Order: sequence, then C-alpha cells, then structure tokens
Amino acid sequence: MKASRSLVILLSIAVCVALPPFLPRHFVDLLVFAGIYTVAGLGVGLLLGQCGIANLGQIVFYAIGAYATAYLTVYVQAPAMVGFVVGMLISAALALTIGWPILRLTGYFLALATLAMGIVANALFFEWDWLTGGTLGIGGIPKLQIFSFVLDTPLRFYYLVLGVVAICLLLAHNLIRSRTGLALRAMRDSQDAAISLAVNPRALRTRIFILSALLGSVAGSLFAHYGGFANVQSFGIEKSINFLLIPVLGGATSLIGVVVGALFIAVVPELLSQFGGLHQILFGVALIGVVVLMPAGLTGALAEVWRRSAEGARP
Amino acid sequence: MNVGLLAQSLLAGITNGLTYALIGIGLAAIFKGSRVPNAMQGEFSVVGAIVVVLLLTGHGWPYWLAILCGGLSGAILGAFIEVAFIRYMIRNAAPEDSYLLLTIGIGLSISAAVLYFFGRESHLLPGFGSDNLYIILDAVVREHVIWLIAISILLTIGLRQFYRTTSVGLKMMAASIDPVGAASIGIDVTLMRTFTFMLGGALGAAAGILITPIIPVDYMIGLQLTLKGFAAAILGGLTNPLGAAIGGLVLGIIEAMAIVGVSSSYKDVITFSLLILIMIAMPQGLLGRAGRTGG
Amino acid sequence: MSGHTEILSLRSVGHSFGGFSVLKNVNFSVPHGSIVGLIGPNGSGKTTLFNVISGYIRHQHGLVAYDGHNMQAESIQARSSAGLVRTFQTPKVFEQMTVLENIMAGACKLTRSGVIEDIFSLPRSRADMRRIFELAEEACLKFGMEKLRHDLALRLPAGQRRVLEIARAVIGRPRLLMLDEPSSGLNTNEIASLRRWIEQLRAEGIAILLVSHDMELMTVADCVHVLYFGEIIASGGMDEIQKNTQVREVYLGA
Repeated sequence: MKASRSLVILLSIAVCVALPPFLPRHFVDLLVFAGIYTVAGLGVGLLLGQCGIANLGQIVFYAIGAYATAYLTVYVQAPAMVGFVVGMLISAALALTIGWPILRLTGYFLALATLAMGIVANALFFEWDWLTGGTLGIGGIPKLQIFSFVLDTPLRFYYLVLGVVAICLLLAHNLIRSRTGLALRAMRDSQDAAISLAVNPRALRTRIFILSALLGSVAGSLFAHYGGFANVQSFGIEKSINFLLIPVLGGATSLIGVVVGALFIAVVPELLSQFGGLHQILFGVALIGVVVLMPAGLTGALAEVWRRSAEGARP
Repeated sequence: MNVGLLAQSLLAGITNGLTYALIGIGLAAIFKGSRVPNAMQGEFSVVGAIVVVLLLTGHGWPYWLAILCGGLSGAILGAFIEVAFIRYMIRNAAPEDSYLLLTIGIGLSISAAVLYFFGRESHLLPGFGSDNLYIILDAVVREHVIWLIAISILLTIGLRQFYRTTSVGLKMMAASIDPVGAASIGIDVTLMRTFTFMLGGALGAAAGILITPIIPVDYMIGLQLTLKGFAAAILGGLTNPLGAAIGGLVLGIIEAMAIVGVSSSYKDVITFSLLILIMIAMPQGLLGRAGRTGG
Repeated sequence: MSGHTEILSLRSVGHSFGGFSVLKNVNFSVPHGSIVGLIGPNGSGKTTLFNVISGYIRHQHGLVAYDGHNMQAESIQARSSAGLVRTFQTPKVFEQMTVLENIMAGACKLTRSGVIEDIFSLPRSRADMRRIFELAEEACLKFGMEKLRHDLALRLPAGQRRVLEIARAVIGRPRLLMLDEPSSGLNTNEIASLRRWIEQLRAEGIAILLVSHDMELMTVADCVHVLYFGEIIASGGMDEIQKNTQVREVYLGA
C-alpha cells in the first residue's frame, strides 16, 4: 500500500514535469492558474480540513499579495522579491489583527465573519484607487525573471508555479504530520477534549489563519506577475467562494484533494465553456453534485471506490 | 444638513432595511427550522421577481395573479430544495459545512440560469397601487414604499402569529426545537422541514417582489441580497425571525446614515465592519439569549 | 514531588448558577497516589465539581488547591499541563482520527515544538513526533488497543471509547486523573480490566478522583465522599458508606 502510494506520487510528479511541453499553450495557461489556485486553496484547505474553519475571506490576502506586487514593482520599481515579501508581511499582520478577535467565533458565524471581511476589503480596494488603481487596476507588472531567464511564456511560468506548489505541499505535509497537525485535528473533532489535553485552540487557530493568509498572498503575487495586472474585479466574493470550493470539491483533509479541487476550478469551467452560456449552470450543478454525493470530495470518493474494490477483491 | 435630506435618507434606510429584514426573516426561519444557513435566500427573491416580470410583461397576466404565482414559485423552489437535496443529506449525516456549500452551489446555479435564460439586463416591476407621490416631513415618498412598509410589517407579525397560534406553526416550532421529541408525539419532522423551506422560499420571493419596483432585479443581485439578509439575521441572533426583522431595520438605517454621514461608497465597509464587531461583541445578537455556536 | 501530602484539596468550595447553589461548602482532599471516590445521585453536583476542578467552570467561593497552588486563575490548559487531567461523562474521542492518533494527541503536551519548526520539519519537531509516536504505541499495548490502532475512533464501540479516552489522558503523565463515570457503557469484563488499570495507575503513583454509579467499582477507592445537593453528607471507606443510614436514605434508596 505504502509502496504503491509513493509510486503514484512519483508518477504524478513525472507527468506534471514532462507533459506540459506537449500540451497546447492554452491548456498550459489553465494549469498555471490551477497551480496558483492550489497555493491559495491550500491555505483554505488547511483551515477547513485541519481546523474545521470555513474561510470565505481568502480573497483579502490574495488581493493583498497581488496589490503589493503590483504597486511595488510598477510604481516603486522594486525587485519582485520585495513585492512577495511585503505582501506576506501585510497579510500576516492583518491575519493576526483580524484573526485573533474573530477566531473566537465558530461554525457558520465564523464563516460569515470571514465573508464580511472579504466584502469590506473588496469595497476598500475599489475605493482606494490611489493605491489599487480602482477598477482600472494596475497594469504593466513586469514578468518574473530568475537571473536573466524571463518567465514570459505560460510554460516557463508553469515550472515556477509547479515548484512553488511542490514546496507548499511539502511544508503542509510536514505540518499535518507533526504534533501541531495532531493538535489541530483534535481541536476540530472535539474542542473540549482538546483543551483538556492542554491544546490552546485560539492561539493555534490564529497561527494557521496566518499561515493560510501567507499562502493566499503568495498566490496573489504570482497571479499579478503572471497576468501582468491587478484590478478589483479579480478579487470579488465569487473568487473567495471558489477558493473555499477548492478543498471542498477535492476533499479537505487530503493535500492531493486541494490539487484536484484547484484543477477542477481552473479547468472544468473551460471544458464546459464549449456549451456556451450553459457552462456556468453546469458548473453550479456539478458543484451541487459533488457536495451532495461526495461528502469527502472527489479524492474521498475515489479512495472509497478504491477501498471497496480492494475489499471486493479479497476472498 | 436639512430635515428633508435626513428624513429622505431615513426613509430610504427603513425601506431597504425592511427588505433586508424580509430576506433575514426567511433565512432565520429556515435556519431555525433546519439548521441550514441558506446562502441562496436572495435567489428566492430573484426567482420570485423574475416570475412576476415574466407573467406580467411577457404574458400579460393581472398583477395580483402574477404576484401570487411569484410567491408560489418561491415556495415550490424551497420545497424542491428540501426534498431533492437536504433530505438526502440529512439521511446520510452530511457534515455541517456541506449545507452552506450546497446552498452556495444552488445559488450559483440559479444565478447562472437567470443569466442564461434572461440575459444581463435588469427588470423593474411597476409599483403597487398608484404612482402617486406623497410628502412626509419634507421627504418625497412613492406610494409603493408605503405598501412595502405596510406589507413587510404585516408579514412579520403574520409570521409570528403563524408560529404561535396555528397548528402547523406550532408543530414546526416543536420539530425544530426537539426533533426526537416531536417525532415521538407523532409530528412528521421531515414534512415540517419541507414546510419550513416552503415558508422561507415564499418569504424570500415576497421580498424580491416587494423591492423590484425600487431596485431592478438581475442575475447578480441574489448574492447581494443574501449577504444583507445574513447580516440582518445575525444581528437578530440567527434563530429568531423577529430578531432578523429588527436586525434588518437597524442595518438599513445604519447604511442610510453611513451614506449621509460618510459617503455612499463606504456603506458596505461600514455595515459589514459593524457586523463583524457586533458578532464579536454581542455573540447573541441584538436581542440576546440564543446561543451563537451555530455549527 | 512537593512536600504537600495532598495533590488536590478543596476548601469551602461553592458555586451557584443563577441563584441556585449547586455546590455548597465542599471540603475534601485527594492524597498523593490515592484513589478518592465521589458518589451521589444525578444532579447532586458531581459534574459541576469536576468542571470546577478541571477549570471548565470558574468557581465562585472557596479554594481549589492543586499541588499546593491556588488554581482559581489557572486556565484549563495550564491545569492539564501541570498534570491535572480529566475524562468526560460521555467520552469525547476525536472521531475522525485513528485510535493511535487519538492517543498521540494526548502526548502533545509533553513536547514543545512550535508551528514553524513543524512546518519545516526541523530536528526538534521530528524528535518530538518520534517520541509521541513511541509513547502512543506503548500506551496502545498497555491498554490492549494494538489491534485497533489504525481504526477511526468513530468506529469504536462505547466501551472502547472509554478506554481510549483514559489511555489518551494517561499518556500525558497526569498526577491527578479525574475519571467521570468511566464504567458506564462497559460490560463486566471491561469493568474488571478498568479496575485493574485504575489499580495499576495508582501503583504508578497517579492519584485518581473517580466519579461512578458503580458501587462495585467504587470499592477500589481508598476513601469515598457522598455528594447530595451540592454538599458532602458522608465520607469514608465504601463499606462504611454503605452502612451509613443517611446515605442509604438519600442515595441507595433503602
């Protein structure tokens, strides 16, 4: 079982590395978005799968990353790294100041508080056009370059995103398997019992909220560099909902689930777009189908099928 | 600032507030009756209003009949959601969060369907009664606004009486407070949940029909309405429909004051920041009592 | 160990909910390494007392001293870290985690690695995890759960949930273990092994405060206190208690 699992992981990595050069440019473009969404969705997924928190405000940090990158690289002409770092710093500080009070709430109330946070932020991004460029946004964000290698094609950018995704997944994997991961899941399943074992829920949840914000910010900075612009339309409530759907669709408790969910969010609407205007309805219906029929997400459902067939195969 | 402007904005606040209240009441009724946080409550309003627009302008039905059918469409949609999805999910002990996600999905689908079948344009309904204007305290008031205020208040009181005096209302209350106990004395808990969704749907549709003469309906407005409704319901404590009514009114007035005092573009910033603050500071809502664990 | 002879002592502890006193002038103590029983009819305040001692409720009157320190201002977590650990009347296991992970969660407090160390899997984090894992494997063996260790706690029957909860509490090296109705939902065999474990834990130097309706199990206690409407009406060995006429009237129903 364990050997087959590492095999699957190795194979997936091989496919991720080797396949894209043979794919049409348009499809690689979608994969880049899937990668960026994986990073942002991973933050939401850690909160949902490990802490049981539905975060509908990830867009705030995604936008902060994007605007920090846009403003600093375009107006200040700072190096790209500065954009990433400043975005992360602001996001972490904000996550701490907002997270500490609102993480006292639980369940739907917390979900709604994060949603309200997203609405407030969106309205502010719209109004503060001296900073964000309002509806026009900020354009002309320079392409990323590594030494003198300019990431100016989807394929080149894809490999950067792939690297970032791999690192983030690895770090998240470490976290989940550590004592922090144990404490988080304990808290998710029974807060009373976790407290009796000396776990401090609010402090721990705030830390994971900050972590999630950092991931959102990195994803936002990547997005800004890739698209070359950042405007307020990219940071609406719908995007926040999509970020939450990523772990939900894929399966919140598994990291692979986040990747699957991000692929779903990035690719499925495109595939459905051949049905013309109908595609949004189909997307909604697909979402309902997953929520109703696969409570553990796509990967959860697959694992269940796998388990059943394995049991069936046994005498 | 003159009295007229103040009165005008206060009135606008009350009008908006009452619509938020109606959305919030429907939300609270559904949450109370089923523990489902209905993130598509605003879509009931869209469907209700669109049905009326279609029947009235498309097929030339009399207004009152179109309105009746609009309300009915909300109830039918509510029943459909309960029977087709919620029932199945409850039977399979679906995780808590999935109800929120389900309703988000339904909301997205309906909004997309409205876009697909009716396009991007927005529709207005004619006002109730005549198009007369009245002057109250220097503020100009359309007759429809008076109808809206009166009908909203009637619906709120009616709902309260429904829960308190009618046999079905009492059964719905019992089923929501103690499902096991209610079932043991012969109440069909599942059916009561279906009724709850019908009631919530009808209330949502009513809200939509009442505001469409003022705010045009389009495929995107559902989410906006849901958010305001949630804010109203949360201010009221989420499980208390009457609280949601007061919450909506408070919200509408705060919003109107924010527009006068600060700027119209900051109204969402102010209302939703305030919402977060109230959730933190007054965990039981403005009226207190009911717990805020919610999930 | 400190010089105090008692690990826990309660002096005139009182608490009321909305004007109704649920605890009145409760005095008793738990000597180091002893088993103290607490019995009383339903609603007599046993669970409230448990909540007060473990910190889930801040009591209003009197003094709760653990290991010679006043606990009034201490959080639940601080008490737990100091070795004051409880179980719950309805077992609260972590349902979506495996049996082994449940027990491991109980050992988290023995280690100190932080979130950042854990994310980057730094040496201390890995060492901590190894230690937690080894302790949990040991506890699994000790409590006879080695066959179940990869099962989700969700799938455990009621009796096993109790055992799991106790194992999870014990792995954190408690000095005072508070067991709330540990025998309810257990069959005769399971109660017998529960009794053996309780005795073994005492032998290991852990003091135990035991709430139970099971008079048979209660005979394991060195001293039993009878709580009735928030007051202790009798104290002594189980045989004494069973002879006490007042206790028989209010509690044993004879």
